[in-house]
Parts: sequence; C-alpha cells; structure tokens
Amino acid sequence: MHLYIDSKVLLGFVVSLFYFIPHGQAQLTSLQLGMGNNDGVTVTSSDETGTTNSSVTIAQDGFLPNQNAASRFLSQATLGYNMEDIDSVAIMGIEDWIDIQISTVGDSTMVQYVQGYHDYIKNQTNNPSANAGIRLWDYTWWQYHMQSKDLLRQRVAFALSEFLVISRFSFFNNEPYAFADFYDILLDNAFGNYHDILTEVTYHASMGNYLTYINNPKSDTILNQFPDENYARELMQLFTIGLYELNNDGSIQYDTNGDPIPTYDNDDIYEFSKVFTGLTWGDRTNFGSKYPRDDTSYIIPMHVLNSEHEPGPKNLLNGFQIPDRNPVDGDADIADAIQNLFDHSNMGPFLCKYLIQRLVTSNPSPEYIDRVSSVFNDDGNGVRGNLEAVIKAILLDPIAMSCDSGNDITFGMLREPFIRYVQMNKAFDNSTMSGRHRNDMDYVYDLVEQKPNSSPSVFNFFQSDHQPIGPVESADLVAPEFQITNSKTITGYVNGLYRWIVLGNPADEYDLYGGEDNALYDDEIAEWNLADELIYADDDNLHILIDRLNLLVAGGRLTGYTEELIINTVKEFPNDDADDTEFRTRLAIYLVLSSPEYLINR
Amino acid sequence: MSHRHINRRKFIGEASCAAVGTTAFLSSILNLGMINTISARPHIIGGNDYKAMVCILLAGGADTFNVLVPTESSEYADYVATRGDLALSNNSTPPELLDLDYNDNGREFAVHAGMPEVRDLFDNGDLAFLANIGTLIEPITDAADYNSGTKNIPLGLYSHSDQIMQWQTSVPQSRSAVGVGGRMADVLNSMNSIDEISMNISLAGKNRFQSGNNVVEYSIDRNTTENSVGFDGFPSWWNNHGHLTASRDSAHANMVEQTYANLFQETYGNLGQQNIESNKIFKTALGNVIPITSSFSSTNLSEDLKKITEVMSVRTHLGACRQIFFVTFGGWDHHDDVIGSQNVMLPIVSAALKEFKDALVEKNLYDDVVTFTISDFARTLTSNGNGSDHAWGGNQMIMGGPIEGQNIYGDYPSLNLSSNLNLSDRGRILPTTSVDEFYAELALWFGASPNDLDYILPNLCNFYSTSGCPANVPNNYMPIGMFS
Repeated sequence: MHLYIDSKVLLGFVVSLFYFIPHGQAQLTSLQLGMGNNDGVTVTSSDETGTTNSSVTIAQDGFLPNQNAASRFLSQATLGYNMEDIDSVAIMGIEDWIDIQISTVGDSTMVQYVQGYHDYIKNQTNNPSANAGIRLWDYTWWQYHMQSKDLLRQRVAFALSEFLVISRFSFFNNEPYAFADFYDILLDNAFGNYHDILTEVTYHASMGNYLTYINNPKSDTILNQFPDENYARELMQLFTIGLYELNNDGSIQYDTNGDPIPTYDNDDIYEFSKVFTGLTWGDRTNFGSKYPRDDTSYIIPMHVLNSEHEPGPKNLLNGFQIPDRNPVDGDADIADAIQNLFDHSNMGPFLCKYLIQRLVTSNPSPEYIDRVSSVFNDDGNGVRGNLEAVIKAILLDPIAMSCDSGNDITFGMLREPFIRYVQMNKAFDNSTMSGRHRNDMDYVYDLVEQKPNSSPSVFNFFQSDHQPIGPVESADLVAPEFQITNSKTITGYVNGLYRWIVLGNPADEYDLYGGEDNALYDDEIAEWNLADELIYADDDNLHILIDRLNLLVAGGRLTGYTEELIINTVKEFPNDDADDTEFRTRLAIYLVLSSPEYLINR
Repeated sequence: MSHRHINRRKFIGEASCAAVGTTAFLSSILNLGMINTISARPHIIGGNDYKAMVCILLAGGADTFNVLVPTESSEYADYVATRGDLALSNNSTPPELLDLDYNDNGREFAVHAGMPEVRDLFDNGDLAFLANIGTLIEPITDAADYNSGTKNIPLGLYSHSDQIMQWQTSVPQSRSAVGVGGRMADVLNSMNSIDEISMNISLAGKNRFQSGNNVVEYSIDRNTTENSVGFDGFPSWWNNHGHLTASRDSAHANMVEQTYANLFQETYGNLGQQNIESNKIFKTALGNVIPITSSFSSTNLSEDLKKITEVMSVRTHLGACRQIFFVTFGGWDHHDDVIGSQNVMLPIVSAALKEFKDALVEKNLYDDVVTFTISDFARTLTSNGNGSDHAWGGNQMIMGGPIEGQNIYGDYPSLNLSSNLNLSDRGRILPTTSVDEFYAELALWFGASPNDLDYILPNLCNFYSTSGCPANVPNNYMPIGMFS
C-alpha cells in the first residue's frame, strides 16, 4: 500500500483507510499524521501494482482530524480531560458540548464536601467540636475536580478565582469553609451574571477579611480615622475596571499628551472607601470582635451595621453621586457602588481580555476582545454581564477554534503549571478504589508555586501584563504565566513529573485528623489507568504510543523531531518484563509533558 | 540547533575579578556609550575584589513611619497627634520605642521596640536609615508643586502593583519588565567569568529588580542544596540507572535546544536550556559549601539570608566577582492591625539582619556586602481604625561594612498634617529623596562608571541637572553620601 499526502498536510492527525488485501477482505489500518489542521488534505491509496485506485480529500469537519482539534479545544475549556472527552467533542461538536456543560453542575457544593469531611472527623474522634483545618479545603477541591463532570464550569471558576483573588496567605489560613463557600460563588455563577458575582463577593466574609473591610468603621475626624481604602482600590483596579480608560477592544485611551487616561484617582478611592464601611460578620450584631464565631461564620454573608456606615453623599465615577440617604442605608450605597462600576465601559473589555488570556491566548487581538466585550455589554437579549454568553463568545471565536491560529508565532500561552497537574490526572484517569480522593496538593505547590487560592497576594500568582525577558518581551507582548517560571519552578515541574508519573505518586494523601488509621484510607490511594498506553510500549509500537499521547495531552502539537527524540530515548530503556513496560510508558508520558511543544498551548 | 542564550556572551573572563575587557556582547543591545566606559573603571581594573548587594523587598508597603520615629518632643507630639491610635508610646512599659544613639542638631529618633538588633546595628555604625525615600520621575518640591499640574507624577501612584514595580525599575513613568539590578548586571556581567550562571540570584523567583535586557535571574530557595539542584536522578536500585539518567538528561536538553518560531515556545526553550546549564554549575558550587557556624532563626527571611551567605561563600566556583541577591518578605499591607502585625514581623527583620551580619563576618564577607530594604510605599500617617492605607515616601534601611552607619540620610519629614510635604488629609508624604539617587550611589559602589548611570537609571539626571536629561554626571557624584 502506498499513501500519498499532498503538501498541505501538517503533522499529527489520524487517517484511517480501508484497503483491499488480495483475499478481498477489507481491513482497517490507521496512521497518525497530523495535528488537526486538516482542511484539504488529500489521501490516495494504491494497489500492489502502484496504480492509484482511490482518493479522498479530508475536509475540516472530518471525524478523525477533529480529535486533535477537540483535544485543543478541551485544553482551553477544561482543567483536564481524557480520551472519552475528546471523542465526545469530536462526535457532538464543540457547540453542543458547551451547551451540555452549561447545564452540568457539580455532584455537590464545595461546602458540602467540607462539611462531609468535617462530620467524618467529628464522628471518628468522638469530638463534636473537632476543628476543621485547611486540609479539608484542599481535599475538597481535589475531590470535586476528580469527581464532577462540570468540566467547563470548573475551568471558568478557576479563572475567576485568579481574578477575584483570596488566598490562604491571610487571616483565615486555616478555615476551609472560608474558601469552599467563596469558591461556590464562582462555580454557581460561572455561567451567571458578573453583577451577581460582584455582589456576593463583596458581601463574603472571606473577601471582607482578605481585603480588610470587615468591621471597617466610618470616619472619625477627631481621631484622624478614615475608612479603610483597601477594598475600594482593589475592587476598581483588579475586579472591575482597571487603571486606565479602555476602548471596547481593550486598548488604552490616551490624552492629548499621549498619556494613558486614569480611570480613577485617589479622591475616587476615598469616596468608594466610605461605601464599604459598616460591614461585619453575618452572625454578629456589632463590631466587637474581628474573629468569626465559629468555622461556619464564613458561609453567612456579611451584613451592614448602619450605625457604623459612613453617612452622607459619595461621589462615584462618571458623575454619579450616591445621595445623602436618611436614614443611612449601607446596603443601598453598596448596591449603587457596584452598579456604578459594573456599568463602567471598562468592565467588559477589562474582564473579557482577562478571561481570554486565561483560556485561550496571552495576547488576544483587539478585534477578538471587541467581539467578546460586545457580548458582555449585550448578550443579544439586552442583558449586560452574562457570563454564559461571554464564555461562548470566547471559546467559539474563530481565533480560539481554528487550529490555524497556532501558526501565528504570537499566538498561544504557557499552560499554567497547576492546570498541567490537573490535566495529567484527568488524562490518565486518576482513580481510587473508593472513589474518594485526598490530595493536599502541597507537593505541586512547593515545586511550581501554584495551587488553588494560594497566591502570594491579591495580584494573583502572575499579573496579566508580565513580560518575560526574551522573544516575547522583544515583541512587546505579554506572557503572564512566565512570571512563575524560573530555574526553580522549571526544575520543580520536571521533578514533579518524575514523582507523579515515573514513581507513580500522583496525589499527597494524609491523615484527616491526628492518629487516623492509615487503613481507613487505603482505598483512597490514587492510581492512573495506563491500560490504553501500556500496549504500545514495545519498540515497534512506540510511535503509536507517542502519537496517542500527542493527541491526548498536547493537541497534536509535538513536532516530528520531538516525537523521534522521545521514541529513541525510551528505546534505550529495556523492555524485558511488565515492570519495564510500565516504566517505558511512564517515561514516555514524562517526556511528552516536559516538552516545550506541550507546555505552550496554541 | 542554534540557540540564543539570554545571558551568554562570547567573552572569556579570567578567574580573578579583574576582568573588564571586550564587551562585544553588549554592543548590539546597548547603545549608550557604555562600550567605552566599561573599561574605564580604574577602581576595579586590576583588583581582585568581590562585591554583592542584597535587596530585601518588604512586599505590601511597610508602615515605616512606625519603624523610625522622631522623639524630639515637638516632633513626637506631631507624630502622636497625626497617627492617633497607631502611635507608639515613648514612655510605656515594656517600651514601644528604642532610642537611637543619634542627635542631629536636636533631632532625635527611636526605632520600633521589636528591633533591638537594628538599634544595636545602628548604634555600632553598621546600619543607616534612608528617610522619606520614594519613587519619583523628577524632584517635586512640596504639595503645591505636586498640585501645580506641571510635574510628572509616577504612574498608578499608591497602587501596589505600580509602586512595587517602580521601586524595582526606578522608571515610574512607564511599566517595564526590566529592573535596576538587571541593568546593573547588564553593564557589569563581564566581570564574572562563568557564562552559565547569572550574576543575579533570587530567593523570590522571577522579579523585575533582577531582570535586565540581557540578564535573567537564577532562582533558588532557602532549601536548595547540592542534592536538590537539577532534575532528580533515577533511583539507584535501578539497574544501569546512571546511564538511564544520562539518556533522560540528554532528551531534556535536546528538546529545549530546538529553535521554535512560536515566541512562547522559544522563550520557554531558552529558559529551559539556560536552566540546565546553570544547574550544572550551581550544583557543583554548592558541593563546596562549608557549613556556617553562626546561628540563624528558623524564619523564612533568616533562612533566605543564610542560603545567600552560603552561595556567596562559594562565589569562586560560580566565577562571581559581582552578585545581586533578591529576597522577599511579604505581608506588610497592614490595612488592618498594623500594630499587632508589626510587633510580630519587625522582630523577624531585625533578627535576620543581625544574624546575616554575623554570618558575613564569619565568612569574611561583611566588608563586601551591602544589604538594603525596599517596600512598595509607606502608609498613611492617619489611621483607618486600626490600620493604615497606601501612601508614598517612607524610611528604608541599609546595612554593611561599606556603609557609613549610624546615620539617617535624606530628610526625615515633619509628621504634622500641616506639613507642606503632606498631600492629603490622610497623611501621605511626598518623598524628598528619590530611589534613583539611592541606586546611583549603590551602582557606583558596585563598579558602574558614572557614564553607565544613564543606562541604569534613565531619570537620574533629573535629580542633579536643572535642564533635565541628558546631562553629564557631576564629578564625585554622591547624592546621599552613605558609603564610607
């Protein structure tokens, strides 16, 4: 059999074809060729005499080529996925898959998971007042993401958790309910309205503590005391409008001197700071204590003590003034302030550019941002802030969908290191005998400096405008994820791969309470299922294994050179018994996941 | 496979620290006349010296008007009136302030009582303060000047992300990926003799301060040891593990050495390749560490400084005549509970500085090292109930053998809210010394020539020339005079 491929072919997709063997019996063969960039590839086959006797041109919507496109799409839309997910997308198409995902919810809320663990501890220790502890939050996050099928929701919530930042490096660093309930806002509203998120976050005790406006009193000029400005500033700078007036396409507006036009000044911050006064714990009736009543105080929204709320008018942005309400009404003031920022023309482009950067590419074009921002401004039904519509606009944009975008040398993004970790666990079906998953993710955090809600400050693990020295900076582009990419974390990531993959320890399981019998969680030891990979670990089939990995985790982006390199390296290792086979397979995965072609998602 | 090294240069340095020779590697990048000036540094040519600087970033904006407090009676009265519930008492038991052995025409000062080691270091001439220093594009005389609308004001004033960046870049009019320490290393890199290891070593990951146009930091952490550097080797119980580890290493190296069209892949490849090469050198060097006998606390900051001492102690194995270290101690954004938080955090800084000094003395390095603090900004003088908010000018510390200690450089401002340096009723103080002036002196000590300064500090001439930039650096330029 001969196979001819026209010159447009790119590497990495699977071509299947039937050919006739002399007995007249049809037989399937498959050959891995390219990377989903498939339009107009012509495949011809010939009989044994060399005469071409059939020919087919593969179209963009061909089934098999779609697998790499599906994998690439899933890498934008999820934190991790497996071969079944790739097949689902390839069969049903991206739009239908998104629609199903929009209506998919988690098996349980985060708070319920924490509560379950907490109850278990209380039961096991016969101590109804046993402490919860931060590890419950880590286990909860991992349990949810290993178990629940709301893959798109998970990705959006994670992106939002890096925008509306709270961190365990804070006052509430040992309070799992504080993180679980906050994260539930992000999951619940991932396809809801951003206005609702802003309101719920503003009233959340975790944010109130993180940005120090819980128990924030009104001014006392005699004592030279003024409202805390922390939330007022970061709400504007980070959560809504950013520092400079933006056009709808995300570009900065300049004044006649060529200077960027600030969105607000310190007087505006002062005015907004008056709004966020008087808030206290939902289960307290005065400013008496900064401390929560108990573990679950964090799941009750804060409420306003009007006696502690700054009276008088407040001059907000774009000429809007909160009236001098009498009696004082803190809730009404807060609602006005959130509306004032939500309605600001920066809100759409500021948030949309951020979300595109987290999901698709570090340097989206103005046109791309403009298209998505316009959907934020009006979802087609006159609704502003509809995140379902925004997420669809981001993922269904031709720039995101087309594999051709990857040919633009400025397109793409470094995969976030923590997302890589989740991705490999999903790709190889991390499972436990019991279906319960413990993982405090400390190892991955130590190595790559990232895990959920663990950034060093409200400015996230990395900032949207970070420029690594080198080709990206020379082109005046940004690459946020490179801010946590250095000699320590590059090495750390590879050593993590070694532990998770080669040594086969993908998760960090620890006791839930002091003295827990290890036998109680023997059935929670995480393992990967490599059955579909192990069968290709022998020399003759290694290319199939690498092709499969290329599809499964790299969206077909490995070059032929790198594929050969990995194959040749693995071949140096013996394959004399089952242990060798297992090791070879794991080594292949380890090398694929450390290649620059995998690490840059494009 | 060709590959561009970010800090590679085709320049063969000698083992001594005398090497300042060809600078061809710089010529394509820098067009600022440095080529002629690098070899015109008479004070370093022929020497065999070592110099290092250690930048400690107190991230979050430390409230440094409670670190260094005026105690002369009228100034202290202003301090108490303005700071309200944030004021430290000068007559409590136990004390909240420790007097410094210092009197400048009647002006007297104390440090926070959590800093007895700093008090001792100051009194012994090891440490000095820089008063009311901050990020500036050009000098601004007072509040009226500030409000005149004719002065260039730093971008995003009072915001963390901007001011923490500007302390590292010293270019407050723009957002730049390149910092002061990086540009110093761009200029002085040729003094170090081993290509593969950066002059700039970070205990805090990637940072702007150490990023140059031609230099990228090498990141370690406080737990880094010879054994932890580089990729984990395959277990010894594996047959032939050495050979297999080598095969694995070769695969890694070959992958990152590829040339990529995609800019992100190429950037990652560059970093990956540089990482492999740096790790080899660093691993070998750390094998030569002789344990430090003087003690360090178990705080992150102390352990970071201990690790830095170890790295300095093997500098010859790193070919290093100049090194810039960067450490971060975060958590200073005290909108809430500034008193209680500083009571916990300032003793950590104070003890760490003393321990670092002792270790440097032990390793005979104390006269070669300058350590200084930076922070986003200082905080409002007034209270928000029990914390303080973002402001501007503040007070920083500088320590080391080369420093003329027991001094307060710059002008400590009046803390009366009627001061003409106060920019708002919250008590935000206009800085009177620019970070440019501080860094300029540091750079000159470090070996930069006066003609390098306009590359390292593009705004510097605004602070000595009435006509603005460009202008020649004055003879014997020493705007602060902090070096002995």
